[in-house]
Amino acid sequence: MEISSPIKQPSPFLKIVFGLILVFGLVSFSPLSFSGFDVSSILGPQSAFAEEGEEDFGGEEAGSGEEADAGEEDDFGGEGDDFGGEDEEDGEEEGEEGEGEEEAEEDDKSYLTDIGPAANHELKPFTFPGIGNRKAVWLAAQYHILFASFILGCPMFVVIMEVMGARRTQGVRKSIILSNVFLGVLIGVTLGIIGEIIIGIHHGVLYGMWACAFGALIVSFLNYFHRIMDIRVSSAVGGVVGALFAVAVTPGAMEHVYLPGYVSALIIGAVGGMLSNIIMFAKADFKFERLAHEITKVIGICYSFTALTGGLFVLVMVVAYKGFMSYLVDSFPVLFMIVYPTLFILETIVMYIYVYSWDPLNRANKKGRHIVFGVLLNVLGLTLLCALDGPATFMQTPPTPLNELPNIGEWNRLTTSTWMPLNYHRLVGNGTFGGYLVGIIAAYMFLWSSNKEEKEYYDWVGYMGNIIGVGIMIPLPAMGYIFVREIYQYDATIGMYIMSDRESMFMLVQGLLVGTMFSASNIYMWVSMKRIEGAERFFPAMKFGFILIVISATIWFTPRRFFATMMPEPGMDSNMVLPDNLAFLALMVSKNTAAFALVTITLVNYIFYTIATRTGKIHWGKINPLGIYVLIFMGFADIWLLSWMGTIRELSRMNWHIYKVFKDVTPDKFTPSLADAGMFVTMIVWGFFIMMTAIIWLGIKYPKMQKQKETEAAAQAAPQMAE
Amino acid sequence: MEQKSFLQNLMATVPKFLPVAAVVWLIVKWFGLPVTICWGMAGIVIVYAILLSIPSKKFEEQSFVKNVGFKTPVVLVIGAGVWFGAEYFGFPIWWKIEFLAATFVALLFFLTLDLKPMQPEKKAANWVIRLLATYALASGIFIGITDQLPQFDPGVEIAKLEKPPLKLSAAAGPEVIAAGRQVFQDNKCFNCHKVFWEGNSDRGPNLGSKQIGLYSDDYIKEQILDPRANQSPGFEDKKSKKAMPTYYGDDLSKDEITALVAYLRTLRDPTHMPVEGKFGAQWTWWDDKDAIAEGKVVFEGLEPVTEGLNCSVCHGKEGIPLMQGALDFRKEDNMDTDKMPDHLAGVPMKDWPDSLWYKRVTRGIDGTPMGPWGMIFPHLYLWKAEAYARTFHDPLDKRTEKRPVPPVPTKEEIEKWQADELFLDPLL
Repeated sequence: MEISSPIKQPSPFLKIVFGLILVFGLVSFSPLSFSGFDVSSILGPQSAFAEEGEEDFGGEEAGSGEEADAGEEDDFGGEGDDFGGEDEEDGEEEGEEGEGEEEAEEDDKSYLTDIGPAANHELKPFTFPGIGNRKAVWLAAQYHILFASFILGCPMFVVIMEVMGARRTQGVRKSIILSNVFLGVLIGVTLGIIGEIIIGIHHGVLYGMWACAFGALIVSFLNYFHRIMDIRVSSAVGGVVGALFAVAVTPGAMEHVYLPGYVSALIIGAVGGMLSNIIMFAKADFKFERLAHEITKVIGICYSFTALTGGLFVLVMVVAYKGFMSYLVDSFPVLFMIVYPTLFILETIVMYIYVYSWDPLNRANKKGRHIVFGVLLNVLGLTLLCALDGPATFMQTPPTPLNELPNIGEWNRLTTSTWMPLNYHRLVGNGTFGGYLVGIIAAYMFLWSSNKEEKEYYDWVGYMGNIIGVGIMIPLPAMGYIFVREIYQYDATIGMYIMSDRESMFMLVQGLLVGTMFSASNIYMWVSMKRIEGAERFFPAMKFGFILIVISATIWFTPRRFFATMMPEPGMDSNMVLPDNLAFLALMVSKNTAAFALVTITLVNYIFYTIATRTGKIHWGKINPLGIYVLIFMGFADIWLLSWMGTIRELSRMNWHIYKVFKDVTPDKFTPSLADAGMFVTMIVWGFFIMMTAIIWLGIKYPKMQKQKETEAAAQAAPQMAE
Repeated sequence: MEQKSFLQNLMATVPKFLPVAAVVWLIVKWFGLPVTICWGMAGIVIVYAILLSIPSKKFEEQSFVKNVGFKTPVVLVIGAGVWFGAEYFGFPIWWKIEFLAATFVALLFFLTLDLKPMQPEKKAANWVIRLLATYALASGIFIGITDQLPQFDPGVEIAKLEKPPLKLSAAAGPEVIAAGRQVFQDNKCFNCHKVFWEGNSDRGPNLGSKQIGLYSDDYIKEQILDPRANQSPGFEDKKSKKAMPTYYGDDLSKDEITALVAYLRTLRDPTHMPVEGKFGAQWTWWDDKDAIAEGKVVFEGLEPVTEGLNCSVCHGKEGIPLMQGALDFRKEDNMDTDKMPDHLAGVPMKDWPDSLWYKRVTRGIDGTPMGPWGMIFPHLYLWKAEAYARTFHDPLDKRTEKRPVPPVPTKEEIEKWQADELFLDPLL
């Protein structure tokens, strides 16, 4: 039962905020407020989809110095489709041919569109000193994505942690219904994709998502009133109800019997029901509340950095790639001018409410409402992520036929064939990233703490960070697989460029990194188990697991050939190819087996770890310091991996800004070498680490120091007993 | 509580793990993996059961020196085993280095596992140094690996990107072929199609061994533009049918397609019968019932494309020669003609190399009605006719095994065909 609170009505502050959100939303979505607004007038002189008879402000020749420099025709590929339109001079000439001189004078309306002397201004290319344009964009984009990944990834588990740490009041129990559905969607999508890939279940994602979400909803709802079901019954109810709902709403599921889909819905629904039961009746542990709150403080600061680096990224793009930016913005006017700003501002408001209402709502015993804000923050964040994945995948896999691009709607440009796979991939990738960064926060705070309780607590936080990071990383290969599969289906040339050509060595490095991360994670578990009494009984089996890890990682790393290109080029040895009879080691079947083995062994070790923690006494805070540095190492490797995969994805467009639509004709159009990319990514990661170190110190350590000083000062200034 | 012995533990643990092993076996089998892998995976489960039965004892960490002293010789022995094992299985040097490196990574792994715990940091300088060392280690690994793996030259990349589009108006024969090879390479065809020894995988037919050059321009063009229309023998499965992209008609210009076809027409082997099927399940036209059936049509003079060629006029429809001196295909011990300077002595017909069949049919036999048919008729049909001719002494339905698939010709062999002018076409 909810403890009665003196505050029955929402605070005036919240009312005002809600009012502002409402007004802003109405204004933003009103078509009237933006009617007649020309995007291209702000972002460039070029109308990318210039229609016949439409005024053309110079076209790409004038708009982009890149094109002028290269001296190429303004042809953006696709069988002579010229999206740039004709240049201004041509337009004028045609006008002269078509009309008489007098008539032209009478009907001359050019004064309406004459922008003045600036019309004759030729835009000049600009090269960022020292690093060039591509690296300037690369740097800004990478920092933006790293911060964005953190602020989108962490809230997903922060809200669940907040739930785990909250006392089960009536309000909290209400909000748990919502958070369980949110968790159900995330888990359902993830398990659904795994089913889709491993078993080949058609619409596996939909079956998984609906079943898990509805399973979670029904169990949470029924258990809200009273604990009417235990875990087993909850699983059964979640499974059956979730499956029924999933079958009802999944396209085609009712028309013919599809057993694999039904079974997967039943299982995933049961998972949703089980988790909902566990969460609803979990005993509140304040450690989770504290962890969630501390991470949120860091998120708050990182949010500013995300905005800062995002702004920097856009500015750099506008200067370095003017023509392309005009084209891209013109392709997504509603997204860039309405949807994105709206979502961004809404998310900012909700995020700051979430961060700054933590203590006030706790004090007002309104934890449930705070959790609702957390879920809302996640919903907005994930919507934002999906929205911006649209242009990203549009650049990589623009909808075909390409000559129809100017005629299709913005929604169709956004929902490309790789859009949803990238959404899944980033959703899971961000979660992993957030987990490893929690590990880094734990490690830093452990090193910066001097008292026993703090060290114990941050030792536990590191344990949680590792669990989250590794746990979410386990389905990550499946998400990557589904993304690359779609790329192959769209255009096998891109897939081959990644897997067999210029980026094959990049992918080899990716294999090395994944192997390193799994290995480091297992070492962390090993080191952690040494501080658990009675855990020694697992050590011989774990050592055997380590042998298997090395073998699996080696197989994952084994390439078909050590060429940096598809065919040997000067300096490459033609003997660097695996003979045909041994080629199976480099095929997907071997890679998948190795990946499966890595995941399974890690899972087995984790089970040993869990059993040990439940059966033996854990000496929190007594972890071998090596474990702390392993956490940092893993965080470093994960940030490096995320940056690296981003690099691979961007470079896979080859010399195209938009694949086969908008060619990159700048001096930076080529794929950089592996060594160059490796060095640059390392530099980016160092920069990110330095910034994160400062943010963690500012967000967590500094307030603690201040608080400690205040406490000490208060103790010293305590009133003396009156004489 | 009294600790149980290893055997007692084992008796208790293994029965619990046996069902798990069985489930693992079934799952692996369900994924269609070989039985050896099924047993291997199930075996791993049992090994886990055995290791978990070892009675618990206090874990003793070792100093770095003791650790290295004990483990290094063990790893050196294992490393030597790995090296020579890789050598035995035919792994090239780079892979041997990789496996050896993995062995040393394992050494580092186990050194780390058994090391004594690090001392807690006493002052800030301690953790700063350790922190920097961690970053340095991670950075060193990633920079080192990306620096040491094979690289491509950005200069070469730029030159390729700045190459003007292919225009065939000013190109002559060899230039067109070279341009076609470049088109083949630029469009990543090598990723699925090997060309003799070159290429990356056997996802599609090896266009060299298959001798795609024997086919007509129209057929090759159709295979490029509409690959699903006509699946290569042995590649009829669902996955293979979907493997070849269908967008080359949009991607390639007319000149590029012309050049590509010109290059593919050069892919022939004058020393072997064409090979069909996927790697590991291949066969030659000697054993291809369809090729043999088509060969019969050619042999009997009924093939419109080879109008004017009728082998049965001299060699007989049933293989009974109708003209004196004509080779009797029914007698497997017949020898090569002695009318030619390159006469192959002492080898009966059943053991003739493919190159001899090809040479005699395409170049003819001096002073006999056996003309140089290769100068007149497409070689595709001549190979098929030869495949049929063999059936007179080696009937298809009586064969107990297929003729061996020839090894993929090496670069040197291919260069030698050209040097020896084995092809009749000057462009080949």
